[in-house]
Amino acid sequence: MGKRYLLHYAIAHPEFRFPELQSISELFDFNVGLPEEEEERDPNRHFLIVELEDEAHARTIAKRCILIRAVYELWATATTYGELHQEMRLNQDLWKPFSTETFCFDVTASNHKIPDARQKDIIEDFAYMAYTGDIRIKGATNVLTYLEEYPRKNIVRSKSEGDRNFQRAYFGRLIEKGGCRELVYKFDVKQRAYYGNTTMEAEMSLLMANQALAAPGKLIYDPFVGTGSMLYTAAHFGAMVLGSDIDGRQMRGKRLTTPGIIQSASQYGVAHRILDCCTFDITRNPFRTGGILDAIVSDPPYGVRAGAKRLGRAKERPTQVPPEGTEYTISYPRMPYELSELTIDLILLARHLLRPGGRLVWFLPTVTEEYQDVDIPDCEGMELVANSEQNFGKWGRRLITMRKASSDDFPYPSFNAATRHAELGGKGTPSATSGHKDFREKYFARFPSTKKIVKEGKPLG
Amino acid sequence: MVRLITHNLLACHVRGCTSNNFPLVFKDVQLQLKEAEYNPDFLRGFMPKLEWKALVDTAKSLNNQSLPDQAPEPQAANEEFLKILHHVLLEIHVEEGAMLCPNCSHVYPISNGIPNMLLQEHEL
Repeated sequence: MGKRYLLHYAIAHPEFRFPELQSISELFDFNVGLPEEEEERDPNRHFLIVELEDEAHARTIAKRCILIRAVYELWATATTYGELHQEMRLNQDLWKPFSTETFCFDVTASNHKIPDARQKDIIEDFAYMAYTGDIRIKGATNVLTYLEEYPRKNIVRSKSEGDRNFQRAYFGRLIEKGGCRELVYKFDVKQRAYYGNTTMEAEMSLLMANQALAAPGKLIYDPFVGTGSMLYTAAHFGAMVLGSDIDGRQMRGKRLTTPGIIQSASQYGVAHRILDCCTFDITRNPFRTGGILDAIVSDPPYGVRAGAKRLGRAKERPTQVPPEGTEYTISYPRMPYELSELTIDLILLARHLLRPGGRLVWFLPTVTEEYQDVDIPDCEGMELVANSEQNFGKWGRRLITMRKASSDDFPYPSFNAATRHAELGGKGTPSATSGHKDFREKYFARFPSTKKIVKEGKPLG
Repeated sequence: MVRLITHNLLACHVRGCTSNNFPLVFKDVQLQLKEAEYNPDFLRGFMPKLEWKALVDTAKSLNNQSLPDQAPEPQAANEEFLKILHHVLLEIHVEEGAMLCPNCSHVYPISNGIPNMLLQEHEL
């Protein structure tokens, strides 16, 4: 049996917490024991107690999970102060081994500030531990940490109001501070050499890299690369990355020398991992074979700021062949690419291009009110791993993680409206009224409520 | 950019051009050599997916004769071989020029290291 560890989380993106933890444990191949009680797994709380077999796993979690502030080895936890000390006395085996090493105390709380006077009392209450090592404020071997968790209050109040009315208290030894919170600043879009108006925010692009299991030796592809946000973070974690886009201007940027994507990649020191960026349309892509990629990570254009386009003509008209002798006319006809069609094509393409076990990670925008779980197309050979919503009110976007669960070779998709649904081969076909169909039109109509229409209509029966 | 690893994955995709459409032939190229990170596991993992003859021929067309005509088994590949493969696959960048389809002669231009692989209407 392993030991208990306390994960201190940043309260951001609650729905991404467990998928991320699961991805990192899968990537580094270890088990995470989660608490059984629903309440203890509430992702809106700052703390999560997990069971791990090895301290190294705790360090890995701290180093790689974007949402983690710190990881502690948990020595005692209780809902009252007295019980915490009782448990401490029972758990001597856990804390005795460190008694001669240098140490310091850290007393802190979430959603709260413990008054200075009580902080001192708390430290003195642990005198029975009888640690004989030197006290070092900086650079101590062990940082003994006492944490109090208070419920979140959305009213203005003094920082110390309601002192002692904590939900739960924890005591333990700091294993490691979260290494990735700093990355959120490192990859801050505003500090980036090159970005565009639809560039993905830093924290989300880091979470996506984790969902894609980015690591050295892997090949990761973004078929809607745009200004390259997903490439930098995946490359930061060691993966080799490829990008393509129907619009080469996004990748190149204004300057005609070094492409914009390479400028930003150089800023992050990962330019050597950007294998290539190519201009092509995924529905007319030049990949010679499938089964080559470890992951596909993408934020497809959903038609609000950047309209999705594919090659072709929206309206039938006689095909124009350039006159004999002229080589380039540089005219590439484009037509709109409806989001629900694009979604299915992306899954089918991923099934073709991924290696067995490879992952597809992408954002699906949905109208909150209309979203149903069946909106995620059910595709033979692809298995849903995670589905996390980032809610913006009337609409949201869902980070979908899928895994190629089959070792078969799947054919190149047809990208054709007539056969698209049949190719999925899933049990259920996506409903025509999915929460992302015609997303662009719904967005600009400010998401008219479908429920309201029913209410105003004739009463049923 | 346009490294030989990417080149080895790309075939002409003009409508109806389905045979003899790989490998694309480099034309009027400007090369750059840039150091890349050596990762033997990545190379071994990728070797089964390479079209070896196409890689050897393309490297030769860029005046690099270092690759053997037959690829060893990935697990039997020694360090010396992998270093050569690493250089050919990842460190040779075609910055300017074009790629030509050996079958239909479609020209895919490369500028600033980014190939334009869009198709025109009559090619869709």
